[in-house]
Amino acid sequence: MNQAASAALAGEAAPHRAAGEVVLAVEGLRTEFRTPAGVIRAVDGVSYSVRRGETLCVVGESGCGKSVTALSILRLITSPPGRIAGGRILFEGRDLLALSEAEMERVRGNAISMIFQEPMTSLNPLYPVGRQVAEAIALHQGLSWRDAMAKAVGMLRRVAIPDAERSAAAYPHQLSGGMRQRVMIAMALSCNPKVLIADEPTTALDVTIQAQILELIREQQERLGMAVILITHDMGVVAENADRVIVMYAGRKVEEGSVEALFTRPAHPYTRGLLGSIPHLDDAARGGAGPRRARLAEIKGLVPSLLRLPPGCSFAPRCALADARCREAAPTIARHGDGHAVACWNAGHLAPGAAA
Amino acid sequence: MTALRDLAPSPARAVPAAPAEALVEVRDLRKHFPVRRGLFGRVAGQVHAVDGVSFHVAPGETLGLVGESGCGKSTAGRTLLRLLEPTAGEIRFRGEDITRLDARAMLPFRRRMQMVHQDPYASLNPRMPAGEIVAEPLVIHGVGGGRAERRERVAQLFERVGLRPEQMDAYPHEFSGGQRQRIGIARVLALGPELIVCDEPVSALDVSIQAQILNLLMDLQDEYGLSYLFIAHDLAVVEHISQRVAVMYLGKIVELTDRASLFEMPLHPYTEALLSAVPIPKVTARRRRRVILSGDVPSPINRPSGCHFHTRCAYAHARCRSEAPALREVRPGHLAACHLHDGGVTFPLAKPG
Repeated sequence: MNQAASAALAGEAAPHRAAGEVVLAVEGLRTEFRTPAGVIRAVDGVSYSVRRGETLCVVGESGCGKSVTALSILRLITSPPGRIAGGRILFEGRDLLALSEAEMERVRGNAISMIFQEPMTSLNPLYPVGRQVAEAIALHQGLSWRDAMAKAVGMLRRVAIPDAERSAAAYPHQLSGGMRQRVMIAMALSCNPKVLIADEPTTALDVTIQAQILELIREQQERLGMAVILITHDMGVVAENADRVIVMYAGRKVEEGSVEALFTRPAHPYTRGLLGSIPHLDDAARGGAGPRRARLAEIKGLVPSLLRLPPGCSFAPRCALADARCREAAPTIARHGDGHAVACWNAGHLAPGAAA
Repeated sequence: MTALRDLAPSPARAVPAAPAEALVEVRDLRKHFPVRRGLFGRVAGQVHAVDGVSFHVAPGETLGLVGESGCGKSTAGRTLLRLLEPTAGEIRFRGEDITRLDARAMLPFRRRMQMVHQDPYASLNPRMPAGEIVAEPLVIHGVGGGRAERRERVAQLFERVGLRPEQMDAYPHEFSGGQRQRIGIARVLALGPELIVCDEPVSALDVSIQAQILNLLMDLQDEYGLSYLFIAHDLAVVEHISQRVAVMYLGKIVELTDRASLFEMPLHPYTEALLSAVPIPKVTARRRRRVILSGDVPSPINRPSGCHFHTRCAYAHARCRSEAPALREVRPGHLAACHLHDGGVTFPLAKPG
């Protein structure tokens, strides 16, 4: 795909895609957890950055470190057993890891907000949802309670909660999963954040509700020009929402690229495996009515335990291309064409000439 | 793509009877749960979890059952297996009516119809070694011979589902999610079933493991001629594994046909919206037109009048609010429950992709 075409594609998918300046940069982040069985390196030297107005998707399977990275950004890692062991988190040039807890509290939920998979666990079941949204507003914006409540109702209306005045008085259990996630989004957006971190925001929701919520996040992103870090395991969500993508495996970043590069020229064997292993809905039409269904491409074996990572490349035991070198030394992330980087010794051999 | 206007406005045809060779068939199956309120458990209403569904599964076939949470798909599967007592309707297994059989008479059928659950961890006894979990059905049904013979059979089952026989002495917590699902499948296979109801068998698993389990299920089907009722919310997964697919909404089947017809030419607006809502893992999919439904799925306790979908349907008209459409054959082999098809009405159906 040429540059013009990809620009047109991105433009059509979401008109807000104008790459602004970098607002948040994670540099060489290392987060560890002490367990009786040993130290788990949940995040092992991960770097990424996100620009104003951009959607960065972080994708990977359970235990790959995608959520721990996000929690580390907001310094929400419980210590002990957790510990941020190294790296920097630069937000508008300031290292968040160097801030005092009081300073950090002014960032959290204000300049950087986060929404989680299960809104029920993040909402207080004892208070009406409007009040919970208003609290965040009163805390960060120093408004009177009356003004904060009025603004909270306005936010609920903005995220398309029907009958916002009445819904503001509802308790979390009285709302559906989709409505609760809208409340979370209202709360997260109430202070006009510069960065929204959304950790599997639609995984617990039905597919028609997922479409509504992702649409809502896109609309609000456009309105506020905020950067969005969208953490997901769903490659479909990635393809339809991301500008750029980070693929993580066993605590490390294994590939990074534009959404076009990643889906049209995946370079890491793990990324290729992931894309090959998912059934595609639109293949049914092409495949016809034949009763024979193709086998899916499998990634053999299991995700390794973070306590017993193999030496060398963590993916080597499951990789068809692994050789002696892969089993000895972990590959470093290296440029693989324009804005595309991969951590694989053999990525160069995968598709000769495919690199842009 | 055939437009709907090309279809002759044929008079309503009744739902065709299941072919004689159906392995299992349900007719007008209903399962209602009482809603109790207050101190004395007064029955305050009924949840119409399954509200008159009819379908069959042929030998060696996979029928997919899709829908969103609360649509009744799991209840339909459990009721078909008589794990729940049907409120009304009929269940036939190889032509025999098993709807009202008592536990004793049901026993021989239990061997022939089994279930794979969503969360293998919740369905495996944590205090039992994996080998014993798989052997348990053999013991219960008094088959599989003596202890040594049984162990041999279990070892074979372990190998068949991709586990090592040495793992027979390990406990469920020592296995990963995908391996636990393999144990669940081995247990179900032990009795040589003909029908397996798979209730969201891969939705708790990681993407790379899902493919392994789906491939295993397809291989086992080819090898043993198994029939599956495959219940899932993930349309891409259902599309991949099923020959025919039934779509449920609030306790009723709204569309039922072979997979290619369903995905190429959905006849029910709900199916259209579902297909459109599924994110497609391709960058080219970003250009497609999407139908985004407004609102939530209504409560099954307090369902909308007429067509239950009319509150969210872009094509709803007056009749939809008052009269429930019947499931009928709109095209040969393609059943839908929608008034739009009565007059050869056209409406633009979006294709995914």
